[in-house]
Amino acid sequence: MNALRRTVYFTGIVALCAWVLVPIYFIALGAFGGRIGVFRWPKSILPTDTSLAAMQLFLQVEGVGQAMVNSIIAACITMALSIALGAPAGYALARFTFPGQNAYRLLILLTRAFPLAILALPLTVAFIRIGLYDTAFGVALIHTALALPFAALVSASLFQAIPRELEEAAWVFGCTRLQAFLKVVLPLALPGIAATAIFAFVISWNEVFAASVLTVRNRTLTAYLLTVLAESPLHFRFAGGFLLIVPSIVFIFAVRKYLFAMWGIANR
Amino acid sequence: MTFTRRLSPAARLMGAGIVAGALLGPMVPASAQQQDVVFLSTQLRPIEEAQKVRSVILKGFPGKVTYLVEEPPAFDVRMKAEGQAGKRTISLAGALHGELQPLVASGDLTPIDDIAAKLKDRGIPASLMDLGKLGTQQQMYIPWMQATYIMVANKKALPYLPAGADINALTYDQLEAWGKAITEKTGKRLIGFPAGPKGLMPRFYQGYLYPSFTGGVVTPFQSAEAQAMWAKFKGLWQYVNPNSTSYDFMQEPLMAEEVWVAFDHVARVKDALTQAPEEFVTFPAPAGPKGRGYMPVIAGLAVPKNAPDAAGAAALIDFISKPETQVKTAAEVGFFPVVKATLPADLSPGIKLIAEGVDKTQNAKDALPALLPVGLGDKGGEFNKVYSDTFQRIVLRGEDIKTVLAAQASVLKGLMEATKAPCWAPDKPSQGACPVN
Repeated sequence: MNALRRTVYFTGIVALCAWVLVPIYFIALGAFGGRIGVFRWPKSILPTDTSLAAMQLFLQVEGVGQAMVNSIIAACITMALSIALGAPAGYALARFTFPGQNAYRLLILLTRAFPLAILALPLTVAFIRIGLYDTAFGVALIHTALALPFAALVSASLFQAIPRELEEAAWVFGCTRLQAFLKVVLPLALPGIAATAIFAFVISWNEVFAASVLTVRNRTLTAYLLTVLAESPLHFRFAGGFLLIVPSIVFIFAVRKYLFAMWGIANR
Repeated sequence: MTFTRRLSPAARLMGAGIVAGALLGPMVPASAQQQDVVFLSTQLRPIEEAQKVRSVILKGFPGKVTYLVEEPPAFDVRMKAEGQAGKRTISLAGALHGELQPLVASGDLTPIDDIAAKLKDRGIPASLMDLGKLGTQQQMYIPWMQATYIMVANKKALPYLPAGADINALTYDQLEAWGKAITEKTGKRLIGFPAGPKGLMPRFYQGYLYPSFTGGVVTPFQSAEAQAMWAKFKGLWQYVNPNSTSYDFMQEPLMAEEVWVAFDHVARVKDALTQAPEEFVTFPAPAGPKGRGYMPVIAGLAVPKNAPDAAGAAALIDFISKPETQVKTAAEVGFFPVVKATLPADLSPGIKLIAEGVDKTQNAKDALPALLPVGLGDKGGEFNKVYSDTFQRIVLRGEDIKTVLAAQASVLKGLMEATKAPCWAPDKPSQGACPVN
């Protein structure tokens, strides 16, 4: 019985890993397989005649480096702003009762209710007038608006999951409200906040339309490459796709520990 | 306490993000380099083409050019937004005729009659220059390059051609017989059309199917000829790969041999032709009872109002319309000259196939040029939808042809009356809005 359980357990693990890894492997295969390789059928599983040509062309495209930097800047600002604004909002939703609380919860979601394509023209005009047009900071502001609902609602449920008694105990022992928050609640919530940060980062990293309308020279990587990717030959699409998922994977890998810690909280 | 220690890297990470964002954000300047001409284009977007423009085609230009590409919806938003806000970053806009049209109404283009006068001796055909007026009295764009749609066939399909058929003078009946023969022998439906969400299928109805069968596009929309035409096309569709409704570019299904015979814009089959020129032949679209309809595609160069570097834009237009630049454009990216220029004999085999296909299309004895829709303004998309919907209802859903045509004709009529667009070739000229009979 035990052996059977172990078999099922490991089969599950293998299946889950394959679920994630096989598509990534095929993207890599396409990215390095050269121009003709992507059309070969049946596909060979092993990397035969690999070529770096597609990757090289990508990295040689003028401005890819700058676009990458812009993407990272925009994503970092988005991450910082959506936590800085979203976490307090979430805390307020979780700990205080105030009139219009439910309406507020809904209102937060409303920023996602309007399609960007409709807002694009007035938004761009406003950005030009304010002087935010063509800056990574301007792009980050829009991305923050997109990420904020998630940041606020996710952190609200995080704070809700942390027992109020812990905070009250801190008060009893002489902490002020702020101290109790910083010393007791925040450490417990940090893993979840890290997860929210990843989410904000990924939202910003992947967003195309706002990023391409609001910038001219200082494009983010997705805006710079993705708009043209859909119309490029297949092996370039694979190469571009590969290039775009690598930073996200690295980022998630770097903070995976805190993600697992968050599940720990949720399971308690 | 253990918690804090264990989690502090997360805090550090967050802190680093905040610091990096706060420091770097405001420091990124709005524009680092002001000396260059910003050339924004909706054409030549794919990565290799854009690279060719930067490193080959514009290489000899004395000034510095920043070549940027953008999808049409974003292009439209940007041009209008910069106009409304009164701050331009774009000095030169390159786009299709139909994409520049709405910018006239919004007042975002500068008349460039002076540039047109300087280019008189380049030999740009008068008909093309007239299109560049976009319905006004002044020159709004200078023709940049042209293309059209062709048919491409895998050589494996050639043995199934019906007896006596000349591939360069096919009729729709023969295309259907060809498809039938292929399906009977191979068991597969191997004709393909770009009827996907981003495919250019509406141009096939407007520039090929309707003109060939009815001699018009708008006026005979629900005529008896149009009814016969849809019945015919529905018959042909039995031999068309059903995946066609997801194809945007035909080059991939051609290379993967999902289809053997395909219709598409030259730029969208180019990759297949340059990769495997020995496997394919190119030929004109089929002819119907009224001739061999075809639609020339014109891209133009326009100068936005209040362009930051209008002089640079003028110099760049002059450079791009030089015969040698135009020939280079043809050789590198497969768009053909609008000026008088002879293509070199040593074109690469793939580009040569495209050039032959275009040449055979334009110079076919029964060629019937159908112009791009003119005067629809920003209703171009709705105009396309009338034709796509008609196709979907008749061919894919099998609704009654006459009923569908009557319903769609009233939509089309409303559209023409709302825009007051007069007829364009091959429809007969009209006073006022083009009638839908």
